Amino acid sequence: MAIGSVATRGRVARRSWKQSAVGSWITTVDHKRIGIMYMYTAFVFFLFGGIEALLVRTQLATPNNKFLSPEAYDQVFTMHATTMIFLFVMPMWTGFGNYLVPLMIGARDMAFPRINQLGYWLFAFGGLLLTVSFLFGAAPNAGWFSYAPLTEATSACLQNPLATDQAATLQAATQAAQGLQGCFSPGLNMDFWIAGINLLGISSITGGINFIVTILRMRAPGLTINRMPLFSWMIMVMSFLLVFAMPSLTVASFLLLFDRHLGTHFYQAGAGGDPLLWQHLFWSFGHPEVYILILPAFGMISEILPVFSGKPIFGYTFVAWSGVAIGFLSFTVWAHHMFAVGLPPIAQAFFASSTTLIAIPTAVKIFNWVGTLYGGHIRFTASMLFALGFIVMFLIGGLNGVAVAVVPVDYQLTDTYFVVSHIHYVLFGGAVMGLFAGMFYWFPKFSGRMLDETLGKIQFWLFIIGLNLAFFPMHIMGLLGMPRRQYTYAPNLGWDQLNLISTIGAFILGVGVIVFIVNGIKTLGFMRADAPGDPWDAFTLEWATTSPPPAENFATIPVERSRRTLWDIKHPEDPEWRREH
Amino acid sequence: MSAVISPIETHAEGEQHTTRSFGWYGMVFFLASEAIFFANLIASYLYLRIRITGMGASWIPSGVELDKTLPFINTFVLLSSSFPMHFAARAIAKGDKRRLTIFLIMTVILGSLFLSGQAWEYTHANFNPSTGVFGSTFFTLTGFHGAHVTAGVIFLLICFFRSLRGDFSKDRHFAVTAVEMYWHFVDVVWVLLFTVLYLL
Ligand SMILES: [Cu+2]
Repeated sequence: MAIGSVATRGRVARRSWKQSAVGSWITTVDHKRIGIMYMYTAFVFFLFGGIEALLVRTQLATPNNKFLSPEAYDQVFTMHATTMIFLFVMPMWTGFGNYLVPLMIGARDMAFPRINQLGYWLFAFGGLLLTVSFLFGAAPNAGWFSYAPLTEATSACLQNPLATDQAATLQAATQAAQGLQGCFSPGLNMDFWIAGINLLGISSITGGINFIVTILRMRAPGLTINRMPLFSWMIMVMSFLLVFAMPSLTVASFLLLFDRHLGTHFYQAGAGGDPLLWQHLFWSFGHPEVYILILPAFGMISEILPVFSGKPIFGYTFVAWSGVAIGFLSFTVWAHHMFAVGLPPIAQAFFASSTTLIAIPTAVKIFNWVGTLYGGHIRFTASMLFALGFIVMFLIGGLNGVAVAVVPVDYQLTDTYFVVSHIHYVLFGGAVMGLFAGMFYWFPKFSGRMLDETLGKIQFWLFIIGLNLAFFPMHIMGLLGMPRRQYTYAPNLGWDQLNLISTIGAFILGVGVIVFIVNGIKTLGFMRADAPGDPWDAFTLEWATTSPPPAENFATIPVERSRRTLWDIKHPEDPEWRREH
Repeated sequence: MSAVISPIETHAEGEQHTTRSFGWYGMVFFLASEAIFFANLIASYLYLRIRITGMGASWIPSGVELDKTLPFINTFVLLSSSFPMHFAARAIAKGDKRRLTIFLIMTVILGSLFLSGQAWEYTHANFNPSTGVFGSTFFTLTGFHGAHVTAGVIFLLICFFRSLRGDFSKDRHFAVTAVEMYWHFVDVVWVLLFTVLYLL
C-alpha cells in the first residue's frame, strides 16, 4: 500500500505508470481483472453488434426500403454475426470463466497468468481490426461463414485502396462485378476478416489451454472432478472444443489467404480446387463453435437453478457427462449445414442421424433442470427469471433445429429465415438469456454491488416479449420462402407485416439493453459496495469469499468434501457429504 | 474449517520429480491443437487429390517433376536431429550443462540443414504454388511445416544461448523440455507429410 508514498533522498518517488489507475489494468495478470476486462470489452462489442442488428432490421422493416445501400447492408449483416459470435459471446464466456473458475475450484489464479494476459490483448486487437474495417469502407461482407468462392480474389484483380491509379481500381471493380477470373471479393474486406479471425483464433486456443490446465491441475484439495461446479465443467468442455475446433478455421482462412495473395487454387473450381472444401473446413469448426457458444450458458443455468430452488441439482452426473457427450458429438455433425450441396445419400443419412442424436444429451439436460425445479422453494429473482426464460426459449430453438436436421425439410428451409429464427432462439434465447442470468447472479461477486432487481425484471420482460416478436415471425417468413441475407424484398409476398413485427421486436430488445445499461450505471455509480459475500444463500466456493474477493481470492482454502462446499460450511448439522454416501 | 491446506504448497510451480509441471500440460494441449491443424491440412490435401484423380485427371500436372532424392536425404537429416535433441534433454535432467550446450547446437545445425535443403528444393522446383492444386497443396503443406521447423530452430537457439549463460540446471530447465516436445512433434509431422506428399 505504501508504494506510492515512499520518499527517497528527500523527494517523493514518482509512481511507476504500472501503478497508475490505467497502467495497473493494462499490465495486470490477475485472473479477476482480466476477466473483467474481457467482460467490459465484450459488452462494448455487444452494443456494436446490437446497433448492426437494428440497422439490418430497419432496412428490412418495409419492402423496397433504401435505408442502407446494398453494399453497406452486406457489411452490416456480416459484421452483426461476426461481432456477436466472436467478439461478444465467446469473449464473454472467457471473461466469466476467467473470473469464476479459479474461485469455484479454490485456486489463486489461472495456470498461466501471462498467457491469459496475452489472450486478452490478442482478442482486443483482433476485435479492433475487424471493427476499424468500417472506417476503410471495407468491412467483411460475405456472411459470417464467408463461403468460397464469394470470398475469392486473385492477385491480378486485388484492389489496392491506397493506390492512386484510379483506372486500375476501376477495372478491378468492374471485373469483380462481373465475377471474372474467380474475382468476387477484390477489396480489403476479406483480408480484414482473415487477419481478425486468426488473432481471435489464437486468443481462443491460448484461453482454452489455460482453462484446461487450470481445471485439471489446480483444484483445491478434496475437490475431485466429480464434485466440481457444473459451470467449471462446461467451461472445461468448451475449452476442449476451442483447442480442437479452432485449428480448422485457421487452416480454412490461411488457404483463403493463399488463394487471394499467393496464387494457389484451393477453392477455385476452374483451376481444379473445390469451394466445398471451404464448407467442410469451416463447418468442422462451425458446429463445435455453436456448442462453444451455448455450453457455458448450460453451466450457468445449472448453477443458478439449484440455488434459487433451494435444492441440489437433479442428476449432477447426467448434467456433467451429457455436456461431454455433446462435446464429442459436435465434431460429427458438420455437414448438416451442407445438405443442399449434393452430398452422397449415405453422407446425408449419417449427418442427419448424428444431428438427431445430439438432441438426446441436450434433452437430458432440460429434464434435469425441470427436475431441479420440481418441488423446490423457488425464488423469482431477476437471475432466476432469465434462467427460466432460457429453458423455454432454448427448447424452442432446439426443436426447430432438429426440424432442419431432417434432410427433405432442410432442402426447403435452408438459407431461409427459418434458419435465422433457429439461430436466434438458441443464441439470443439461449446464450444471451443465460448470460444475463449469470450476470445478475454473479454481478455482486464481481463488483460488491447488487444490481437493481426491479430494473432486472423489467429487462427480462422486455427481452422475452422482444425476442419472441423479433424471432418468432421469422419461422413463418422462412416457411413462406423469404431467403436470408437479401437486401430488400418486393411488397405483397406475405412478408410485409411479419418483417415489420420482427423489426418492432428488435427495437424492444434494444430498449431492454438500455434498461440494463441504466441498471449498471446506477449500481456502479450510485450504490454503495456493501454486497455480502454470499447474497443468494448459494452452494459453491466462489461465494465463500468476500464480494469482490481479495487479490489472493481466499485466505485459506477449505478442504472440499462434497459438491456443495458452502452448504456444508453453513449447515454443519446436515452436510452434503453425509448424503452422498 | 479446521483442516486447511495452504494452496501455495499444493500449487507449487516449477519442476518437480513427482508431478509434471503446468507448463508440461500446457505444451501437451498446445501440441494437440497443432496436431489438429496439420490433420486439417492433410485431410484437405487428400480431399482435393482424391477428387481430382476421381475425375480421371492426373494429380501431378504433366511436365512437372517431383524430385524425391533430396527430400529423402532431408528426411534422414531431420529424423537424425531427434537424437541430439533427446540427448540434450537427458543431459540437463542429469545436470550436465556442457553436454546440453553441445547437443543443442548439434540439433540447431541439423535443423538448419533441413531448412537449407527445403530452400534448395523450393528454388529448383519446376513448378510453383499456381501449378494446379498439386502446386498449391505442395507448397502450403511443406511451407507450414518449414515455418514450424524455423520456429523450432529459433526456439533451440534461444535455449542454446540461455544454456551458455547458465540458465538451466538439473531442477530448472522447462524451456529445454518444451523445445524437446515441440521438436519431436515437428519430426513426426514431417514423417506424415513426407509419406502423403512424396510416397503416396
Ligand atoms: Cu451445425
